[in-house]
Amino acid sequence: MTNSVQEIEDADCIFIIGSNTTSSHPLIATRVYRAKEKGAKVIVADPRRIHIADIADVAVQQNLGTDVALLNGMMKVILDNNWQDQTFINERTEGFEEFTKAVQGFSVEKAAELTGISTEDITAMAEIYAKSDKASILYCMGITQHTTGVDNVKALANLAMLTGNLGKESAGVNPLRGQNNVQGACDMGGLPNVFTGYQKVTDEALHDKMSKAWSSGKFPSRVGLTIPEMISGIEEGSVHGLYVLGENPVVSDPDSNHVTKALEKIDFLVVQDIFLTPTAELADVVLPGASFAEKDGTFTNTERRVMRVRKAIDPPGEAKPDWEIIQELSSKFGYAMHYESPREIMEEIAAVTPSYGGISYARLEGPGLQWPCPDQGHPGTPYLHKDKFARGKGLFHAVEFIPPAESIDDDYPLWLTTGRNFSHYHTGTMTRLSPTLVCEYSENFMEVSPEDARELDLSQGEQVSVASRRGEIGVRVQITPRLKKGTVFIPFHYVESNVNKLTNPAMDPIARIPEYKVCAVKVEKNP
Amino acid sequence: MIETVKEQVRKLLDSGQIQGFLGLLEKNGHISPHLFTDPEELDRLNLGERDKPGDARYPLTKYLIKIARAHPDKKFGILVRGCDERALKTLYNYNQLNPGQVVPVGIACPEELARECECRQPYPEECVAGEKSEGCASVSVDRLDELELSERFDYWTEQYAKCIKCYGCRDVCPVCFCNECTLASEDLVQTKTFPTETPLFHLVRAAHMAGRCIDCGLCEQACPVGIPLRTLYKKIYNIMDEELDYQTGYSEEKSPLNAI
Repeated sequence: MTNSVQEIEDADCIFIIGSNTTSSHPLIATRVYRAKEKGAKVIVADPRRIHIADIADVAVQQNLGTDVALLNGMMKVILDNNWQDQTFINERTEGFEEFTKAVQGFSVEKAAELTGISTEDITAMAEIYAKSDKASILYCMGITQHTTGVDNVKALANLAMLTGNLGKESAGVNPLRGQNNVQGACDMGGLPNVFTGYQKVTDEALHDKMSKAWSSGKFPSRVGLTIPEMISGIEEGSVHGLYVLGENPVVSDPDSNHVTKALEKIDFLVVQDIFLTPTAELADVVLPGASFAEKDGTFTNTERRVMRVRKAIDPPGEAKPDWEIIQELSSKFGYAMHYESPREIMEEIAAVTPSYGGISYARLEGPGLQWPCPDQGHPGTPYLHKDKFARGKGLFHAVEFIPPAESIDDDYPLWLTTGRNFSHYHTGTMTRLSPTLVCEYSENFMEVSPEDARELDLSQGEQVSVASRRGEIGVRVQITPRLKKGTVFIPFHYVESNVNKLTNPAMDPIARIPEYKVCAVKVEKNP
Repeated sequence: MIETVKEQVRKLLDSGQIQGFLGLLEKNGHISPHLFTDPEELDRLNLGERDKPGDARYPLTKYLIKIARAHPDKKFGILVRGCDERALKTLYNYNQLNPGQVVPVGIACPEELARECECRQPYPEECVAGEKSEGCASVSVDRLDELELSERFDYWTEQYAKCIKCYGCRDVCPVCFCNECTLASEDLVQTKTFPTETPLFHLVRAAHMAGRCIDCGLCEQACPVGIPLRTLYKKIYNIMDEELDYQTGYSEEKSPLNAI
């Protein structure tokens, strides 16, 4: 997030797009409710009529994969009415001319046609957002899990820059991170193209510093593989072994039949997790990791806050904290590691990572620190880009609308989107073991609009078969006005009815994120 | 005030009158519940004050149920404010705790906190420390009672609609001790719905709070969407008081509703 969670409650406008906030980020939703009570306007754009839409001033349901059209439409309205923050644009940004050209070539009517939202609603959204003093954007996987994921985010950044809503309190562009430590995992370079703190592996100037810290020889400066590239690498025979930590690709990756086949084929598979996941069941070796309560370390949350986690109980049986397992493995591979504790690892992180430079265990008592925190005296950074963007000037991108990779047709006439329900977390390996949570949703379901249910002659609770070009699953019908006609929704928590057998592995060309949020399916009654 | 409390607890531990003291501990910049067994640890005792009195709170009496059951032959001291004492009384009435195992160490809440809580009796009967301040009337209830019925109905409907069914109100509640919870019974409250069934979920809980709720306000503090639950249950207290002459948390008997 560019800004902090606490700041949300003082925003004048909160624009939620592609985030089922109350269901997936309830404590962020708390701040939205508080802001609303203080008089903030709330705008919600989501293909489903989600819970938080109940308190929205404007709530719209865009067609799947049409976010760029919606955002460009809003920006066209802003420019046409001269509601932009020209001072901010002039002083803090570049690329405005080209961006303007792209948006001027677009029309609100076209946006309405593509998104299925009325021109009046698009205009109202633009007006509320642009005229608010502090407008905050909250987004989540509904924005990113598209073949145009990067375009979607760029369009949101354009909207924020256009109205001067970056670099100030209670505004910003705020991706809500899902796992407690997904921010931390990315910060630590758990990505194929960066060292810690987003320092590029292709930047050879950094290699000296890194090889000194790790007393190692030369690093390759090429970018590694993304997960989809690893899977295709297995098929092509260029990837022979895979080490999976805390991930369950058999359930969580798109086109899961394909993923399972690849993992069955691979020469050697190691899985490190706290439970025997469906992916771990395919492994040659399973390494038991420690849960959050069984280890020391830090988590970095969605607002870039680094916080201590402290061991409360010993890991059961042979389980160990991840860092110990990695250390032992590394030593066996011939690169001996001798860390005594996570604290010692944090000292190294601070030494080689500018944004973590001032973070130490001694300073992490209490509420923790928000990066960037470059030195010991630095208080941390509640919001980014205050006087200057990280790259100097904020860069506008001309972003054109591109439709989703797969479209409905006569054979697969319904749009499918996927997501979560409130009682389960991701592939359910943890939450489906909790009786309280299982009591809410014990099995999978498909949300369908009353109109589609009537047309397909479906009744509440009926078992149906849902198929895409890639696979087929059985699922129960849940008829709900939350969906509009033509679109169905299925959560991805259930391995026995795994919606990712249906999803499209088509990827965003830059971020390589798959298009979980759009594909075409057909629904058939069971004979 | 804290020194007096520490002194009292130290005496109880040293003399062997109690084998442990359930209170709050300041550690690593956080305040958390802690069972003190070693008087040395008392240096870090905290009365639940992060920024101001009573802003760091936990349902200590609820934790004590588990601890006391695990060690039936031992006695435990516990830090109590007015509301905690009402919780203890209720838990004794419902046989969840054995008074013979419990030694309360009472502190009175300052006036500011009492007013914020609209607390009827912001102190336990016996106080080791703190000045007893006046009880306060439930202004929040009066304010809503003044609304027209339809306005009041809309107000509560809007509040209930925010619920995300996290069960935080139940889980933090010191007097929610049922083995089977009605809120999780599919015959009474629908599962597989989100948002939760309005108003059934909250009214079922409210009905169960009659003769139970001791007005500690932890539910409202725990509620992530800010439903004014304390106000709702204060109203329930008033009804029990006016209609059945039962003062929840002060009476020495189970509520008359249990006789039905």
